[in-house]
Amino acid sequence: MNESLTRPAFAYSSGLQPGPKMFSDLAPLTDAVTLSVDGQPVRARAGETVAACLLRAGVPYNRLTPVSGAPRLPYCMIGHCFECLVEIDGIGNRQACLTLVRDGMKVRRQDGAPPALEPSVP
Amino acid sequence: MSINAPLPDADVIIVGCGPSGMAAAVELAEAGCSVIVLDMQPTPGGQIFRNLEANLCDTSLAGQSLLAALGPAYRAGADLIQRFRACSRIDYRPQTTVWEVRPDGTVGWLQGMNVGYVRGRQVLLAHGAMERPVPFPGWTLPGVMTAGAVQTLLKAGHLKPSGRIVLAGTGPLLLLLANQLHQLGVKPALVGRTDRLSDSVRAMRHLRPGGLVLLVKGLGWLGRLKLAGVKSVTGLENLAADGAQSVESVSFTVGGKRQTLPCDLLIVHDGIVPAIDIPNAAGLRLQWDGPNASWRPATTPDGLGASTLPPEMSAGPCVLRVTGDARKIGGADAAMAHGRVAAQAILAALDHGAGPSAEALRAVDKALSVRPFLDAAFPPGLAQDLPDDDTIVCRCEELTAGDLRAKIRSGFRNMDALRGETRCGMGPCQGRNCMVTAARLLQDETRAAGCLPTFRGRPPIRPIPLGAVARLSGLAPRATIRLTLEDKPENASEDTVDAPAE
Ligand code: FES
Repeated sequence: MNESLTRPAFAYSSGLQPGPKMFSDLAPLTDAVTLSVDGQPVRARAGETVAACLLRAGVPYNRLTPVSGAPRLPYCMIGHCFECLVEIDGIGNRQACLTLVRDGMKVRRQDGAPPALEPSVP
Repeated sequence: MSINAPLPDADVIIVGCGPSGMAAAVELAEAGCSVIVLDMQPTPGGQIFRNLEANLCDTSLAGQSLLAALGPAYRAGADLIQRFRACSRIDYRPQTTVWEVRPDGTVGWLQGMNVGYVRGRQVLLAHGAMERPVPFPGWTLPGVMTAGAVQTLLKAGHLKPSGRIVLAGTGPLLLLLANQLHQLGVKPALVGRTDRLSDSVRAMRHLRPGGLVLLVKGLGWLGRLKLAGVKSVTGLENLAADGAQSVESVSFTVGGKRQTLPCDLLIVHDGIVPAIDIPNAAGLRLQWDGPNASWRPATTPDGLGASTLPPEMSAGPCVLRVTGDARKIGGADAAMAHGRVAAQAILAALDHGAGPSAEALRAVDKALSVRPFLDAAFPPGLAQDLPDDDTIVCRCEELTAGDLRAKIRSGFRNMDALRGETRCGMGPCQGRNCMVTAARLLQDETRAAGCLPTFRGRPPIRPIPLGAVARLSGLAPRATIRLTLEDKPENASEDTVDAPAE
């Protein structure tokens, strides 16, 4: 998948080793749903966006860029910058900041460009 | 134009459900029009009133303190949202992205995996603003976010930043956010402003009575931050973020001295600018707004846009109007006031009523009268100087200012040639974050004058999943206007082609 000689500067890992914790909850999570991020269960507040959920979970990145493999996290949170792209329920390049969490949703972080045709989650 | 124009899906299609879009929708619906409102967000309110309905219902202690921190300006949207929800003539379609607007009133939309076209007799663009792009070294690192993003996380994610936080930039939103964070018990390590005392002094001559309230409010924010012991500087320059896999430190120059601070989250803001993606792709003429250092669609006071398309493409009963911050940055009050004006103009075009009332127009002028003061007090700072060669300009394709300068020097001396050669502006964001910088670099290198050039906007202006395209609905191919390929030199002899067939 898009491996070129220049990458990856930053190795993709399917584990959710946390990055520096940049956000914390105003109040404990009640009314939570559970989604899977790279196969691991992550709790989210019902009604929030996938991007908010990923930032709460403290993932170090939601995608590695197709060009250099650099890690990225959401930047604008309002649908303009497209930094928050992830694969959601098998469809790549979805904007996490515009997508609401749903119980059982399958989110995968992206390593470079997503495969165009085949969903990678059955 | 086709002879058999299809029946419109609604009298008016409004793109965007913030203050201006809601105000216009309510005005139109109450006058008996059918309205379709398309909006990217899940609930009405736009960014300023984001998630307001839910937050008002939250009676928990944390919910109440969040509302208190967000302040009365946030709660002020409750009334309008309620009226918007109560209108049965409004067909509100949330979580819907618009990827094309045509001059004949056809609007392309995407909702989840469904994609289609709807047609309105009139179209109103109320899609709002975005934060000014600020290319500086390290701005793509995880841990750099905009002030608007952090505020959205507060409002709609109930998340507050933690760790070592630095706010840098300028504008009311930066100070407002610093205050809101402080009220929620978050103490930033630094609020670094690019504006200087001399800007405030110069701004004073633009002060109007309406601005006085803002001035008092702003001084109150500054006073509270000072009391709380939040470190603050003005005249910040040459911001840079450093770190291997996320931000670890920020550096900047103040008063000629370079400083470095450890940092987990760098929050940047350099004012807001009209979002011009839709107007640009719809063929509306853009003009350069000097005081706000941004493009804005050229419009009449009632929001009528000026088309750059040949008359056979733009003539017809539908016209495109622009309102709210998408037309001119003015904040929520100005947006609501102008939404009403634009709605009254649309009603006149639909043969109801006599056009905008003098009272409605005055309300817009009054709300906008504070802008010259704010523009002068908070001039663009982070984006003021052109970036160094090593700084990334196009985040999507990871192109630096040096890459672009080299290509411009080697002969790619217009925006579309530069885009075609480098892919700058071709990534998923479609130039939203790089276009203004690319245009400034081009103008700087070629020593050109006049309005900054733009990329030619082409639909879809937002990516559409392939699977969704396969299910495209609502387009009657024979009835749609022709699409132009005039910017493709190889098609010079054949400047129009029919829109895609079924
Ligand atoms: S974070 Fe910018 S588009 Fe999602």
